[in-house]
Amino acid sequence: MDTKIFLLAGVFLPLFPFSIIFNALFERLSHPILRGIMLLFWPLIGIYLLQMAQRPPPDWIIAWASATAILYGFRLISMRDVGLWIGFLGTSAWALLWVGFNANIDHSRLYLSALGFSTPLIMLLILAAHIKVRFGAAYTYLYGGLAITTPRLSGVLVFTVLAATAAPIFPAFFIMLYNITLSAPAVIIAMLTGWLLWAWAGARLLQGLIVGPQAGGQIKDISRKLAWLYILLLNAMVLSGLYLPGKWL
Amino acid sequence: MDQLVLWLPAVPLASALLTFLLGDVLGKGAVRISAAGGVLTLALSAWLLGLILLGEDTHLHMIGTSWGGLLFDPLSVLMTLLIAGVSLLVRIYSIRYMAEEAGYVRFFVLLDLMTATLLIMVAAGDLITLLISWHLIGLLLYFLLGHDTRSHSAYRYGFWTLITYRIGDLPLVMAAMLLFHSYDSWWLPEVFAGIAADPDAVTFLGLPVVEVAGGLVAFSAFARSAQFLLHTWLPYSMEGPTPVSALMHAGIVNAGGILINRFAPVYVHTDGVLHWIFIVGLFTAIIGSVLMLSQNDVKKSLGYSTMGQMGFMVMECGVGAFSLAVFHLIAHGLFKGTMFLNAGGVIGEARRDDGVPKEDLYTFVVERQAPTYKQPWPIMAAITLAVPIFVLFLSHWAVAPDLFQKQGAIILLFFGWVTGAQLLFSTYHIGTQNPWRLVGLIIISFVIVVMGYTLISHAFDLFLYPNSEFAARLYQAAGIDILSFDILISIATLIIVLGWVRVYHQHRHQDHKNKYPGSLWLGFYALISREFYINDLYSWMSRNLLSASTRLNVLLRWG
Repeated sequence: MDTKIFLLAGVFLPLFPFSIIFNALFERLSHPILRGIMLLFWPLIGIYLLQMAQRPPPDWIIAWASATAILYGFRLISMRDVGLWIGFLGTSAWALLWVGFNANIDHSRLYLSALGFSTPLIMLLILAAHIKVRFGAAYTYLYGGLAITTPRLSGVLVFTVLAATAAPIFPAFFIMLYNITLSAPAVIIAMLTGWLLWAWAGARLLQGLIVGPQAGGQIKDISRKLAWLYILLLNAMVLSGLYLPGKWL
Repeated sequence: MDQLVLWLPAVPLASALLTFLLGDVLGKGAVRISAAGGVLTLALSAWLLGLILLGEDTHLHMIGTSWGGLLFDPLSVLMTLLIAGVSLLVRIYSIRYMAEEAGYVRFFVLLDLMTATLLIMVAAGDLITLLISWHLIGLLLYFLLGHDTRSHSAYRYGFWTLITYRIGDLPLVMAAMLLFHSYDSWWLPEVFAGIAADPDAVTFLGLPVVEVAGGLVAFSAFARSAQFLLHTWLPYSMEGPTPVSALMHAGIVNAGGILINRFAPVYVHTDGVLHWIFIVGLFTAIIGSVLMLSQNDVKKSLGYSTMGQMGFMVMECGVGAFSLAVFHLIAHGLFKGTMFLNAGGVIGEARRDDGVPKEDLYTFVVERQAPTYKQPWPIMAAITLAVPIFVLFLSHWAVAPDLFQKQGAIILLFFGWVTGAQLLFSTYHIGTQNPWRLVGLIIISFVIVVMGYTLISHAFDLFLYPNSEFAARLYQAAGIDILSFDILISIATLIIVLGWVRVYHQHRHQDHKNKYPGSLWLGFYALISREFYINDLYSWMSRNLLSASTRLNVLLRWG
């Protein structure tokens, strides 16, 4: 029974090749709201399912999850479609939530960890929608120069990408550290490799969007209100990161 | 009063926030807030240094319960003064230098954030704070180097820096986890006390904790201080603004030496790690110096010069001279920072005077100067070899007679001897109307420099490591058995002496036998002119990884 639960949970806390289901669905659903709902609830369903298991997942599943995180991290570095990039990063990050189950930690921490990974991805999704409206596609190395054409958009984009790729002092950073404290040496190395790949992919994403001379004609920037909303959300994330996963350490 | 250490990073953080918020209202004038914050930070750090010099005890000031605190100790206070000073100079310099650049206010906000992060890093009292600041420095440097958002090349080389720093962050994370699991605390003083109580603790596979943690910390320091194979980012990061280069070469790149010093209580219990640190530092010093000499691009040459200096600094740690490494990084930081900030002045000077030396015939006929003389080569070779060693031994003996019992000190004296000999050789090479006067002046300068250096380094030793037993144990941890040491030193001395004598002899007799370089020399020249193909190798690896990732995405196109 537990094995069936684990395999079913492997769809929602993605284990390759079950991860294909999420990414294929995410690609088909092009509407940002539907994608946002997926990003929010998909890993939560996985955690809910795993709560039904009578025992912690075996070590081979942890190894499988670590390999999935590295695989999607590796695929992320060459992904140019921002929408799919978000899906791949989610897949890579959520796979690491298995470590918490293996260590038998409190389930509320697992839900918060999932939210810590998903929230910046949802914020990034909204920014990708804004980019798509302005340029016809949210795609890296296609137009570039957002820092000049749309400075507010690129400013919040930089911080959101940093939050998504677990840069300090956002919640994902502390979640990564916390997961590392729970892991065996081999899993730690896998997690750190995945983390390195996220940083590489994040830098490529930013370089492909914000760097370069001014692209095209006059492009409308995001409103000041939206920019301030993002600043407030990012600050709230920093504070929640320090007071929630930061306190678990 | 020493709780002011907690306010130290808060000042640049507050000035970053105010500069950002008031940027729209005050325009470019907002950067004055940043400069004022810099002055206040410097004043606070000078006050803290004064406190510790007056005998205030070291303290750990905690904000959080399990992590989040800053140390008030000699190392942190000394480093905060350096950082605050250099960062203030950089900010003042940038007010006019960057005035015409886009993103002027953003630049100062980033500088303030970098200053705050550096201050936190050097004073971090726990492993988590250290990890956060260590990681943030790489990110902030990436954005500072890529200040010109139109420049793809600035970001490309900024990315090299970022990825090398991230590679270096990861061993530090592993070391932190290892120490936390072994000693059940994030607080550095508690971890170090745990190590002192149980230095033989073992970790997975039965490996000793101190050796593994020491090795991982050293690896992290190597990436930050551009040690060989992790150095490629440094000479290519000149695409960023000059003030950033100054800050990077004067401060950020020194972080490796600071990290190794911070973990001195780990290294004092290690057996072989310091030997590896020495070898890496030595190799980096040699490779960096060779590459510096072979560059025709002045900026890259400066980059490799810093690499060589960082090699020396790490090497000093490897021989157990931890406090000397701190002195070295401060001296080098001030020197290199001045060079970068003075670069504009040098360019202006070069436009007025090309600096190309006149031919002998021109100086004789037009300037009516007498021809130059060279002294007999055996006498000059003897002076070159004997004088530096005499001066070095005498000055060190005057400060600490037992210094020669320490292998690390002998190695450093050896390097001092080679440097002094090179200095004297240059007088022979220059050629002058009155060579003895020139030699005399150089010897006097050398004596002053060596005496000053000896006294200052001794003072640093007393300030940073007041426990003489601990300092002696650091040298001991870096030592090898006496027979091997003597053999190695004898061989090295023989090679150096024969090398100098040959150089003098060849120089005097204008040996033309080797006028045309052989194929071996040409091969070596090709190797160094391509910087040992290391950049090419990394570019090739990066391209192939990206290509493999793309192929994988095509193969798994359904998700």
